[in-house]
Amino acid sequence: MTRLQSLIGVPLVIGSCLLVMAGCASKSVRSGGNTAASKQDRGVSGQEVPDLSLSGQDGGSLRGLDKNPSEERVGSNALMAKADPGSAARQLDELRAEQAASAAAGLRDVFFAFDSFMITEEGRQALSRDAEWVKSNQGVQLKIEGHCDERGTSAYNLVLGEKRAKAARNYLVELGVSPGQLSVVSYGKERPFCKEHDESCYSQNRRAHMVVKGGR
Amino acid sequence: MSSKTVIVSLCVSVGLIWIIESWATDVFLEATRPDFQKIPVGVVGIADAGGPDSPEGRIKLGTRIEEVLKADLRRSLVFSLVDVAGLGVKASALGTEPHPSFKQAAEQGASVVVWGKAGMRSEDKDADVNMEAYVYDAGSDEMVGGKRYVGSPSVARLMAHRFADELVFRYTGEPGIARTKIAYVAEQGAARELFVMDYDGYEPRQVTADGFLNLMPRWSPDRRFLVFTAYRHRNTQTIDMIELATGKRWTLVSLGGLNITPTLSPDGNFLAFASSYEGNSELYRMDTRTKAVQRLTVNAAGDLSPTWSPSGRELAFVSDRSGGPQIFLMSGDGTNVRRLTFEGDYNAAPAWSPRGNWIAYVCRTPRKEYKLCLITPDGQKRVQLTTGPGVDDSPSWSPDGRHLVFSSTVEGKSHIYMINADGKDLERITHTGTHNSAPAWSPAS
Repeated sequence: MTRLQSLIGVPLVIGSCLLVMAGCASKSVRSGGNTAASKQDRGVSGQEVPDLSLSGQDGGSLRGLDKNPSEERVGSNALMAKADPGSAARQLDELRAEQAASAAAGLRDVFFAFDSFMITEEGRQALSRDAEWVKSNQGVQLKIEGHCDERGTSAYNLVLGEKRAKAARNYLVELGVSPGQLSVVSYGKERPFCKEHDESCYSQNRRAHMVVKGGR
Repeated sequence: MSSKTVIVSLCVSVGLIWIIESWATDVFLEATRPDFQKIPVGVVGIADAGGPDSPEGRIKLGTRIEEVLKADLRRSLVFSLVDVAGLGVKASALGTEPHPSFKQAAEQGASVVVWGKAGMRSEDKDADVNMEAYVYDAGSDEMVGGKRYVGSPSVARLMAHRFADELVFRYTGEPGIARTKIAYVAEQGAARELFVMDYDGYEPRQVTADGFLNLMPRWSPDRRFLVFTAYRHRNTQTIDMIELATGKRWTLVSLGGLNITPTLSPDGNFLAFASSYEGNSELYRMDTRTKAVQRLTVNAAGDLSPTWSPSGRELAFVSDRSGGPQIFLMSGDGTNVRRLTFEGDYNAAPAWSPRGNWIAYVCRTPRKEYKLCLITPDGQKRVQLTTGPGVDDSPSWSPDGRHLVFSSTVEGKSHIYMINADGKDLERITHTGTHNSAPAWSPAS
């Protein structure tokens, strides 16, 4: 996975860097075509998935009103959560470990203007310091989380969050950080740092958040 | 294939689409037409025939079921409720036969009269609940029929929903929406988990318990599964599917980058979704049987949020190829792309009505508010449906095409609301929790 990502990553990073620096909309278009087979090997589940095509068979259909109605049993169609009790605790432990490692490294986050994924002058300064730290810690993996404020739709903010994270990553690469040490993930507006509905909060939530990745 | 054959077959298919679509519009009930007259129904009552004891005293099962039934009939938009107290009849005095006074119901404005009773089968606290209800048509002076339900006390509301749907079905030939469900995302501490509740906001049940993010659920056409974006591994997104009855889970898509906004075609044969696997967010569709993935968009901009037309032939989606996000349309195979929205600089989260006649979406107003808008698929008519402060998001249609659910921060915290497709009867349906979002209305059964 990492090998493939770096294969795709390098030309993409260069292309996107140009885009970010120039602020124009001409990103190199990656053609589709012959990728379906490799995707099937890599990204699409090999598990047997139940047939989803609609067969018209349905247990809950109505039987009509009857002049002499017979008794009809109403089932509860209970839904079950297959809770993994360990999962939430494990997630919390990992998050705490990441937070501690990131705080110890003194990493700086990058903040963005409304609706924007352009790196500001302040953002560049923050990234310069982050770049120095990553370059002097060759074994480390840095995760860049893209975040947004609550305005706009959930879905579009996931795309915007990814653009922010990638803009930060591209600038770090430009500063000489090895792309292999960097990964991006977008949380859109789903993990806000601040929950009030005002600009002081919004500006904190529009960020690329730098995290030292745990031992995965 | 020669160009002539192409043109001929194109004409044939366009003609066929036109015929099917106009046929489809005709069979759909007139209840969506503005001149549709609601059927006035008088609910005499559901008598209390012995309820279980609770710390607050004996529970009035009949009264509870009657409330649920009346709310269902009101929300159906097929019926209007008429007060029939003037008939001077109590539900507790009635059996299976209509009372002679029901012949005068039409004078009270009710063309349909409903009565019944509900109670515990025995004094045992684990005993089953019985509900029976009957329908008399005053217009034709005819006993229509009734239903007798039995089940555990936990399904009492469901009995009312079922009877309401029987009434809608009897008078419209449509299955009704009272037994439909709404899937949504609820904040649980730092996590966001999937839940499913009844369409009226009752009986919420937790579906996932991952301890991290689960986003944007969509139903399978047979209502057995949800597809959604999961962050089970926190640093990557996958598109997962969960079976509601068992909790069994599958990962359908785990490409690199974003894997978001999955949605199954109306026949279940294709999963459309957005992935940034090849650089920026693009649309793909996966054949759910062969797992073959086909790329639908080739564009330097972000493409996301696909929604199928009811025929499964077309997709509406969001793209920011022209600057801000706008709604576009294309064929299900990615051809024939055209832009649909031109008003405003931010239009997103489209949802194609199950009747095909409208696409609901989130529009940013000149005052930078995110509200619901409707537009016809030909772009000829556009309406703003909601107003006021806050962010409205994730519109989803009821299967009868008469209502929408959506999330809104209009009252501060994000909650789930229901509204009629004509903008009337705004109703908040979640009342607890810190953040409820991304509602998805199930298909009807």
